[in-house]
Amino acid sequence: MSEVVIDVRNVKKMFRVYRDRGNTLKDRILFAGRRKYEEHWVLNGVSFEVKRGEAVGLIGQNGCGKSTTLKMLTKILYPDAGTIEMKGRVSSLIELGAGFHPDLSGRENIYTNASIFGLSRKEIDERLEDIIAFSELEAFIDDPVRTYSSGMYMRLAFAVAINVDADILLIDEILAVGDAAFQAKCFRKLQEIKGRGTTIVIVSHAMSQLELICDRSIWIADGLVRMDGKPRDVHPRYMEWMSRKNQQEEKKEDERENGEVSETDNEGNLKRWGSGEARMTGVKVIGADGTEKTDFSPWDPFTIHIDYTAQKPLDDAVIGLAIYRSDGTLVYGTNTLIDTSSPVTLQTSGTVDLKIDGLSAANGSYSIDLAIHRPDGFNYDFWRDICTIQIADKVQTPGEIALSHQWDIH
Amino acid sequence: MIETLKEIWAYRSMIRSLVHKDLRGRYQASVLGFLWTFIVPLCQLAVYSLMFSIIMRGAAVEKFYLYVFVALIPWNFFSACLTGGASSVVAQQSLVNKIYFPREVVPVAYVTSSFVNMLLCEIIVILVSVFSGVPFNVLAYLCLPLVMLVEYIFALGVTMIISAIDVYFRDLEHILGVVAMAWMFVTPIMYDSSIVAGSRWYSLYQLNPMNIIVTAYRDILYAGKVPELTKLAVLLGISIVLLWIGFLVFGRLKRRFSEVM
Repeated sequence: MSEVVIDVRNVKKMFRVYRDRGNTLKDRILFAGRRKYEEHWVLNGVSFEVKRGEAVGLIGQNGCGKSTTLKMLTKILYPDAGTIEMKGRVSSLIELGAGFHPDLSGRENIYTNASIFGLSRKEIDERLEDIIAFSELEAFIDDPVRTYSSGMYMRLAFAVAINVDADILLIDEILAVGDAAFQAKCFRKLQEIKGRGTTIVIVSHAMSQLELICDRSIWIADGLVRMDGKPRDVHPRYMEWMSRKNQQEEKKEDERENGEVSETDNEGNLKRWGSGEARMTGVKVIGADGTEKTDFSPWDPFTIHIDYTAQKPLDDAVIGLAIYRSDGTLVYGTNTLIDTSSPVTLQTSGTVDLKIDGLSAANGSYSIDLAIHRPDGFNYDFWRDICTIQIADKVQTPGEIALSHQWDIH
Repeated sequence: MIETLKEIWAYRSMIRSLVHKDLRGRYQASVLGFLWTFIVPLCQLAVYSLMFSIIMRGAAVEKFYLYVFVALIPWNFFSACLTGGASSVVAQQSLVNKIYFPREVVPVAYVTSSFVNMLLCEIIVILVSVFSGVPFNVLAYLCLPLVMLVEYIFALGVTMIISAIDVYFRDLEHILGVVAMAWMFVTPIMYDSSIVAGSRWYSLYQLNPMNIIVTAYRDILYAGKVPELTKLAVLLGISIVLLWIGFLVFGRLKRRFSEVM
């Protein structure tokens, strides 16, 4: 399980940005001596390894080099320095519907498209039924593709791409395909592929999607690996960095320095961060009897009580909650913006009570993150693992959630 | 080199699909569809017969329509490789920029598709040749696949080189349009090479590979005789070397394709 299948070593990539690109004979001859270009180093020495069966997300701002990295893994681009080693059959889902011909039927286009991914005729024949079934286009498969709606077109394209069995699957921002039901299906398929031991590398801006699939996130900034670790550790840091960057662009001088919050846990992971304009001063989990508690059954109602202070009254606050299982799975998350669709107002000090009817989940330990942030994601105070609660039912039942139920037998 | 060839072989179904898509897609939206593959050369034949038997009656060569027709079809194939083949990689840039596959697949598929198109036209050529009373010489016909193979390898070699250079230097496709026209006139397609025989450029003229190829087609399908095999064998050797150079040039240039497109 621990074999390294992707080994990226100190990879650098430079693009020549021609100020005025002389592409014609006249330009080449007349301006031969002064073809000015700027060297634009997109990657300045990126190194990482991916082990067999891992699912890794590449994140970063636009232009940070994550897509370039993916293109080099795909061998569309080649590094200017450093080495990339890949073991096994690589399939890339960077472009969907590559080579589709509008006048040919869906079936014929499956053959063309799949062959571009390197499948032999025989391999396509074997997969044809699966592809058609996955695309849900049985009734239209012999019609020309130009008669398809764009949703149908993408469904067919994704169906082909996802059915290419590869050892390494590279995916670039293509998970926003079709309606919600089809997206869910694509995710299940990706999970299934991952379950079979396929190594997956995904470039995406959709953090929540990455968290569903990836075991690891690599954050690339300024052509270097900024952070590499569990999505739960990397993503908050990245979000924080992004919102701070946006903030800095809004107003150059930094007036928030005083009161800025930052704490790390004993493993060096950031545990709490934010600008400090509002901060939580105390958090308690209170049971039905009004006392502070940590052990509940799935049916016990409880209240999360937050005391806060703010440097000045804020009218753009959002209070958010996320509950994680001990293995890092996000069990539930919500915030006041989702629930009321408008920001809340905070006074200079006050309390927030969040009443929950019961954490109807399987027995285990659950940790809670709380945050006060702005609607755009800028954090006033983000507190990870602020408290942990134990859920234990009278009996152990299989499954991930607990359902309130009642048998009625006559 | 061997690695590249192995990889291209592994992607043969892609070549096949691209050829299929090109041939089927070309006429798919039209009413007569695939029949156009045959209709176009037949119309060309009709025009030439009309022109040479009515308008330009003074033509010195017997059955001049057939004389031209047997040479024109192979020339059309080569000419397509020169003009369309040059831009074949650029034309597929959406694929090249997004997906990995051995880039050689693109020119190979283009040349093969044009070649298959020529083979279909050759059916018409052979039928016309037989109906025109050209003696059916079995030995000569056995040489036909060899002639086609030589032309295929030669055209592929040329296309590999020009399609790779064209990515960096787009003027090439326009230049090649002119070159194709000039090349047609230094190849005996519309006239008999005896016309040039007295010129002091004649020895140079004869070095034109297309001259050898077109003459070989004409020997088989117009004169009904076995072509000059020594010349063909030499040209086969040259074409293989050219193809090898083509792969080398393409292999050197392909790494930066998607950076400049």
